[in-house]
Amino acid sequence: MRKFLAVVKREYLQRVRTKMFIIMTILGPVIMVILTVVPAMLFSMKAGDATRIAVIDQTGKLYERVRETILRGDEKNKEGAGKNYEQNFNANTQQRIKTVGAAMKASYDVREVKLESRSLDEVKKELNAQVLQDKLDGYIILPPDVLENGKVESHWRNVSDVVTRGQIEDRLSRAVVTQRMADANIDTARVDEMSRPVEMSAVKVTETGSEKDSGGGFFLVLAIGILILIMITTYGQIILAAVVEEKETRIAEVLFSSMRAFPLMLGKLIGVSLLALTQYAIWAIAFAVFALYGTGALSAGGAEISLPNLPISFYVYFFLFFILGYFIYATLYALIGSMVTTTQEGGQVALPIIFLIMAGYYLMFPVLRSPNSPLAFWVSMIPFFSPITMLVRIVSQTPPFWQIALSLLIGFATVVLLIWLAARIYRIGMLMYGKRATIPEVVRWVRQS
Amino acid sequence: MNANASTLTLNGVTKRYDDFIAVNDLSLAVRAGRIFGIIGPNGAGKTTTIRMIVNITAPDEGRIELFGQQMSAELQNRIGYLPEERGLYKKMKIVDQLRFFGELKNITGRAADEAIDRWLERVKLAEWKNKKADELSKGMQQKIQFIAAVLHDPALLILDEPFSGLDPVNVELLKEVVLELKAEGKTIIFSTHQMETAEKMCDDICMINRSRKVLDGSLREVKRSFGRNSVALRLEGGDSVLDDKTLVAQVERHSDELEALLATDADAQVLLKRLIDAGARVLKFELVEPSLNDIFITKVGESE
Repeated sequence: MRKFLAVVKREYLQRVRTKMFIIMTILGPVIMVILTVVPAMLFSMKAGDATRIAVIDQTGKLYERVRETILRGDEKNKEGAGKNYEQNFNANTQQRIKTVGAAMKASYDVREVKLESRSLDEVKKELNAQVLQDKLDGYIILPPDVLENGKVESHWRNVSDVVTRGQIEDRLSRAVVTQRMADANIDTARVDEMSRPVEMSAVKVTETGSEKDSGGGFFLVLAIGILILIMITTYGQIILAAVVEEKETRIAEVLFSSMRAFPLMLGKLIGVSLLALTQYAIWAIAFAVFALYGTGALSAGGAEISLPNLPISFYVYFFLFFILGYFIYATLYALIGSMVTTTQEGGQVALPIIFLIMAGYYLMFPVLRSPNSPLAFWVSMIPFFSPITMLVRIVSQTPPFWQIALSLLIGFATVVLLIWLAARIYRIGMLMYGKRATIPEVVRWVRQS
Repeated sequence: MNANASTLTLNGVTKRYDDFIAVNDLSLAVRAGRIFGIIGPNGAGKTTTIRMIVNITAPDEGRIELFGQQMSAELQNRIGYLPEERGLYKKMKIVDQLRFFGELKNITGRAADEAIDRWLERVKLAEWKNKKADELSKGMQQKIQFIAAVLHDPALLILDEPFSGLDPVNVELLKEVVLELKAEGKTIIFSTHQMETAEKMCDDICMINRSRKVLDGSLREVKRSFGRNSVALRLEGGDSVLDDKTLVAQVERHSDELEALLATDADAQVLLKRLIDAGARVLKFELVEPSLNDIFITKVGESE
C-alpha cells in the first residue's frame, strides 16, 4: 500500500509541476473566455463598410421592394442578433457561423442601375469594371420573369462570402414572395400572423407524476460523453507515456525488484487521473466564477440557465458512469503502453481507442429511440459502451436497478481485469526487451508466470 | 549470524522461456558476509538467475530461500539491486528520485533523507542533490543508481555489472564502497563477465555457461583445485633443464620472459634447484596461479 502510494505521489507531483501542465491549466479558461466573450463582443462591434450592391431590375416594379427588404432586414437582424445567437446556441456550427456572420456583416448599400437604352451586356461590362475597381461589391440582375420562375443572377467580387450571398438570397426571396402576394391581392400581415409556428413542450411521464423536463437530462448525457472524449484524448496519451516511461528509461527492473506490477500499474493510472482531476477542478472553478459573472449578462439577454430538473440518483449515476467511462478507456491506453516500447509507437497503436469511444457515442441514437430493446440492453452491458448508452437509458426510461448495478459491476470488473492484464504484459515484456509484442506473444505471456 | 550460514540458497532452479532454457537446474549457496561472484559470458543466464533471486520472475522448478525463508515480496525490502539495465527519471531531481526509490523499499522521512545525504557525500555527488538527472553525466548517474540500491541498508546487495562504463577513478571508489559494505557484514552478489574484476573482488564464485553451472566454490579453492601450475621465468641459460619433459610439460615464450607449465607431480622447488645447479642466472621466478579467465576457458572447453 505504501509503495502504491509512493507511485501515485511520484506520478502526480512530477507531472503537476511541469511547465506544460501549468500553462495548459491557465490557458484552458483563457481559451474558454475567448470563445465565449469574443463573439459577444463582436456583436456589439460596428461592422465594416457597407456592402455595395447594384440592382438591375428588368421587371420594372420590384426594385423598391427589394431595396427595402435588403435594408430593413438589416435593422431587424441587428435587433434580433442577441436573441438569434441564444436560440442557435445548440444548433450546428455552420448555422452558428451564419448567425454570427449575420450580426457582423449586416450593412448594405443598394442602388439601382437602369438599362435605359443600353443592352444588358453593356451594363454588365460596365458594372464588372466597377466591381474590379472596388467601386461596387456585386450586382444582381432581376430578369423580367423573376416572379414566375424565381431565377436571379448575381455577380460578386468575392464569391466565397457565403454569409452575404445567403442573406441576399433570403431577402430577395422575401421580396419576391411578398410581391407575388401583393400581385394576388393577399394581405401579407395576415399571412405572417397565420403562419406562426407551433411551440411544443415535452413532459416526461414518471411514477411520481408528470414532471416538467426539457430534455436537459439528455443534454447532460451528451455533455458527459463529450467530457469523457476530451479527457481521454488529452490524458490517454499521458497515461501511455507514463507506462512506457520506465521502459524507455530502463527503470522498470529496479521497480519490479521492489514491488509487484499490479500496484505499480494502478498507481500510475491513479496518479495521472488525479492530475486530470486537478486540471478539471481548476477549470470548473474558473468556469463557475466566470458563470457567476457571466450568467447575469446572459440572463439579461433573455437566456434561461438552470440545471435540468432530475432526481438526485441521476446525478450519482452520472458521476459513477463518468468515472467508469474514463477508467475503461484510460486502462486501454495503459494496456497499449504495456505492449509497446516507445511513446510514438503507442500513439499509433492507440488510434482505434478513439473509434471505440465514437462507436459508443453513435450507439446512443438507436438506444435513445428504443431504450428497452434487447440491443439497448446488451450495449449498455458492454463496458466500452455502457458509460454513454446506460446513461441514455437512465434518462429516457430508467431501467430496473439490477441492470444499472450489473452494468457498473461489469464495467469496473473490466477495469480491474485490464489493469491486471496490463501489469502482467508489462512485467513479462520488460523481461524481453527490445521489440513490440505481437498479439500471440502477448497471449502466451499472459498464460505464463 | 554465524560465518558459515547461507544468506541465500538456490536449489535445482530452472527457468524456461518458451523452448529456451535460460537457467538449468542451478543450485548454489551464498554465504553471509562474503562477496559472491556469478560469472559467465553474455547470455549465460546470469541476469535471469538474479531476476529470480530478486523476485521479478519466479522459477519454473526449484526453490529459492533467502534468510531461511521462501522468497516473497516481503523479503524484497531486504535486498538492494543494481540491475544491468538501469536508468533514472530524466526530469526528476536527484533527491526526489532517491526518496522515491527509498519509499519503494520502505525507508521514508528523516531516515531516508539522512541516508541520501550520507551516500551522496560518500560518492562525492553532494552538490548534485537538487539537479535533474539529465544534467548528470552517465558515470554520475550510475553512482546515483548505486545509491538507490544501497539506500535502505539491505542485508543482501546484488550488483549486476556495476562497474561497466565507469572511469577508473570511480571504479576504485565503488570498489572501496563495496568492500566497506562487506566489512559491515553485508552479503554481496556480484555478477560480471569481466573475470579480472571478479578475481580481485570475490570470495566465492559460481561460473555459469549456457544456462548451466560449470564450477563453484571459494576462489582460493577453485584456483588450488585447478591443477594447473606454471612458473613465470626470466633466465639467462638453463635451457637444457626446461627441455626435461618429466619436469616441464610445455614452455610458452613471451617477449622477454617465458612461462613454463610444470609436468604433473613436478615441484616448482625442484625446478628452481635444477636451474641453479645448471648454472642458469635466475632473474625472475614466480609461481603463477591460473587466472579465472584461464580456468573459465578450460572449463567451457571441457563442457563443450
